[in-house]
Amino acid sequence: MMRSSGFRTLLACFVALGFVLLAGAVAPLHAQSPTVVRYWLWLDDPTEPMFDQLVKEFNATHPGIKVEYQFVPLNEYHDKLVTALAGGAGPDAGRFKDWWLGEFVKLGALEPLANSIGKWSGRGDVIDNLWETGKIAAAGPVYMMPHQFITFYMYYRKDWFAQEGLKPPTTFDDFLTAAKKLTDPAKNQYGFGLRGGGGGQDQWLAFMVAGGARLVDAQGKVIVNNADGVKVNQWYVDLFRTHKVAPPSAPTDAYAQVLGAFQSGNTAMFAHHVGSSVLVTTKLGAGSVGVVPIPAADPKKPATMATMAGNVVFAGSKQKDAAFTFVSWLSENAPMDKWSGSRQGQLPVLKSVAKLPRYTENTFFKTSLDGANYAIAWPPLPGVGYVSAQGWMANMQRALVGQIGSKDMLDEIAKALER
Amino acid sequence: MRSPKRSSAKASGRTRRGGSWLLPLLLLSPALVLLLGIVAYPIARALWLSVHRLEILRPDLSQYVGLDNYRSLLKDAVMGIALQNSGVWVAGVVLFQLFGGLIGAVILNQRFPGRAAARGLALIPWATPSVLVALMWTWMLDGNYGLLNDLLVKSGILSRFQPWLAQPGTALPAVMLADVWQGIPFFAVMLLAALQAIPEDLFEAAKIDGASAWRVFRHVTLPLLLPTILITTMLRMIWTANYMDLIMVMTGGGPGYSSLTVPLHAYYTAYKRLDFGYGSTIAIVQVAILAVAIVFYLRQLRANEGMVQ
Amino acid sequence: MSRHPARRVLAAVKLWVPLGAWLSFVLAPYLWMFITSIKPPAELYTKGVQYWPSHPTLEGYRLLMETTPFLAYMRNSAIIAVSTCLIALTVATAAAYCFSRIPFRGKGVMLFGFLVTQLFPSVLLVLPLFLIMRSLGILNTPPALILAHSTFAVPFSTWMLTGFFNAIPRELDEAATIDGCSRLQTFRHVLLPLSAPGVAAAATYIFIYSWNEFIYALTFTADLRARTLPVGLQTFMGEFIIRWDLLTAGGVITAIPIVFFFMLVQRHLIAGLTAGAVKG
Repeated sequence: MMRSSGFRTLLACFVALGFVLLAGAVAPLHAQSPTVVRYWLWLDDPTEPMFDQLVKEFNATHPGIKVEYQFVPLNEYHDKLVTALAGGAGPDAGRFKDWWLGEFVKLGALEPLANSIGKWSGRGDVIDNLWETGKIAAAGPVYMMPHQFITFYMYYRKDWFAQEGLKPPTTFDDFLTAAKKLTDPAKNQYGFGLRGGGGGQDQWLAFMVAGGARLVDAQGKVIVNNADGVKVNQWYVDLFRTHKVAPPSAPTDAYAQVLGAFQSGNTAMFAHHVGSSVLVTTKLGAGSVGVVPIPAADPKKPATMATMAGNVVFAGSKQKDAAFTFVSWLSENAPMDKWSGSRQGQLPVLKSVAKLPRYTENTFFKTSLDGANYAIAWPPLPGVGYVSAQGWMANMQRALVGQIGSKDMLDEIAKALER
Repeated sequence: MRSPKRSSAKASGRTRRGGSWLLPLLLLSPALVLLLGIVAYPIARALWLSVHRLEILRPDLSQYVGLDNYRSLLKDAVMGIALQNSGVWVAGVVLFQLFGGLIGAVILNQRFPGRAAARGLALIPWATPSVLVALMWTWMLDGNYGLLNDLLVKSGILSRFQPWLAQPGTALPAVMLADVWQGIPFFAVMLLAALQAIPEDLFEAAKIDGASAWRVFRHVTLPLLLPTILITTMLRMIWTANYMDLIMVMTGGGPGYSSLTVPLHAYYTAYKRLDFGYGSTIAIVQVAILAVAIVFYLRQLRANEGMVQ
Repeated sequence: MSRHPARRVLAAVKLWVPLGAWLSFVLAPYLWMFITSIKPPAELYTKGVQYWPSHPTLEGYRLLMETTPFLAYMRNSAIIAVSTCLIALTVATAAAYCFSRIPFRGKGVMLFGFLVTQLFPSVLLVLPLFLIMRSLGILNTPPALILAHSTFAVPFSTWMLTGFFNAIPRELDEAATIDGCSRLQTFRHVLLPLSAPGVAAAATYIFIYSWNEFIYALTFTADLRARTLPVGLQTFMGEFIIRWDLLTAGGVITAIPIVFFFMLVQRHLIAGLTAGAVKG
């Protein structure tokens, strides 16, 4: 009797031990849940499944990481990010604009990526000078992974130019002549869709640098309000005030208005980038629309502006490595091509992708990529955040309506940049 | 006439001594919990922020600066412009909303077939999301292909298309037009509700006396609506003072600062300059001005109540 | 009524002309939005204003329903608006009854205090409220917005309802008390029915406010678990692509539930409710 009960007890113990060992073997498999990376982005057309497919592909090929993403409209992106970071509930990584780089690095919100990039296999494929767009100082670390960029060019009405016997403008003088010829207020037609409203600072910068002015000098000192700056800015203001080649609504025209005016045949030229090329040609037909680089004051010194939408990893993240794995994956060949080729694609930052016929044979992409050779971006100063959001707009509008002069406007901008 | 009723009410309050302040506490506690718990903290924090200078993500770097922010405000020329614009904005918008709403309430108070549908449709401006109100009005006011310009030119009132939103003199009025449109149904509903409290027999009596519609309105309707008008207007003015959605989308405060109002100035300062300390200061100054205005207003209201009674 | 045809015509004109004019002003921009929503993209920007679409299409509506989570946004908006309405009305009614019918010290100050909360621009309250929602653990859930919307709706509704309760003579309360009613019964059978218009107006206000509220909805929600219509509509506006078709179709549809809601609620806005109440 005692022997069998003792035997049963021993058996029970072995069985229990067996269960424990089994559980121990199985448990780590369950406990090993993937690292969640929270990623924020803005997308121009959220109905397009491109990004969702990319995330699914990444999650499937990287079993240890699960990316959860959130769309935030671009207009509210910066503000929502500030609130979330200040509230200690920010994302791990996010899409980012070079406008905000200086500001956020000063706040200590971004993680320097030098080490991670050093270990990333795809780094050789990135167009070399584009790394600069993610740095604060030339010798410093990269904070923002390049992803999609644009350079500004100018659309013009090929058909109207042909009718008037005009050649596409290459210099400031050509540009002004053409604009004047194509302006007829009686028909509500104007030569140039000047954008004085929200977001117009990029176009303005394109013309400023094309005219020979610079925001900062080689040492990083703010020089926008020097003699060159004042002269070019005055030229820009005069387009509206003196020559009247821009529609009367120019001071508060934002993107919807300048695009709409061009599409409806109210303006002959407007400055933008490859992001709108499909929209413009669909509406007007490829035969009516052409692109040229931004005309330069001195044709031997062309310039245009470029702006980068990259990816950053936030300093407060607890999953920095996993986050970097995702954002660097986005900048690899296949995901890059998929993104750039989609309806909301912009210019690819990879040499291998930029060589594809899809981009080299498209005149809009080609003109943009050519411009990349001499494009200048906003300097990585903390004040750029404010200037790009309100500082430029308020002062440009005051100059356009004649409340202040060109020098005053640039002094205000210089003050904001130096802050 | 009032005191006997009051003392009898007080008497009944006193005889139920035990419940006389337990009941109010009970009834008010949900509201108080909500307000003290959820709103008092943000208000206290705003006050704290206004006397500090801080870097938004570096709380360790915040410094107490006393009244420096307030002193800067006195020298801020943009604040002066914003205050002026806010005054015009609030007064103009509320006045016209009240006017349009009053007309609507009187019309919709009548009996006619399809009244339910008419009342439902009347709500549409208020029911439309603000972003769409802003976008549609911007489109209608457009200087190149806008509906309003087209109609005004075709009917001969204007000779040329006007860029309403791009001129310093017309930008704010243009946005005000959109806000008046959006807010009329609010007053229509509130005043319609108040109209129901006027006994039919008063109207009957006036008609029997041979009063015209206008006289009935002026001497019967209006005085009895006055308390509701005054309270609703006050609340609407507070809300309008803080409402910046339309201005932000339609003009961004421009051109220049010509349509910049105080809350928009506070927003840009806090979120674009990343100066939450100074931004809070701007907001608090507006709060103070509104609070003072309300105190005077309420005093006037009580005096009026005495007269109406 | 009068049998003179001239008088009847005059009466009809006095009703329908002002009604027509007023409604025209009120509906015109909405109609413009509707017309825009049925225009194909090619007809959107034309030289000279094009009033009617030559090829009207419902493609925008179809795309809205099929390619965007519009219905999910609407579901969230409905849950949040209705809940806010119920909660805020209950809280406000209790508070308003107290302010109107119960004398106590500090009433004026407290009423004023209710107002102070409304004096602050929401943009400055966003960050502290975010911190509160986060510590309560309700970010990205409907309760976060219900709570945030209630903080705005309760003070206003309290003020409105206090005013409506004040307009009901206290003799009616006393008559009911003499008849043996408790406070609660007096409230249910005397005050509430007579203030039905005020409650209807307050309910409408709360519903519309919550339905169209943007800044809190944007900040406290991350995805379809709680995102509402205004935030959803904003996603149709991109950096360089503006989906006018989706935006205008969405705008047209968003206003409709409110129209129906009010058509139901406005039944309480009937004249003569208080007629005879004092005498009877």
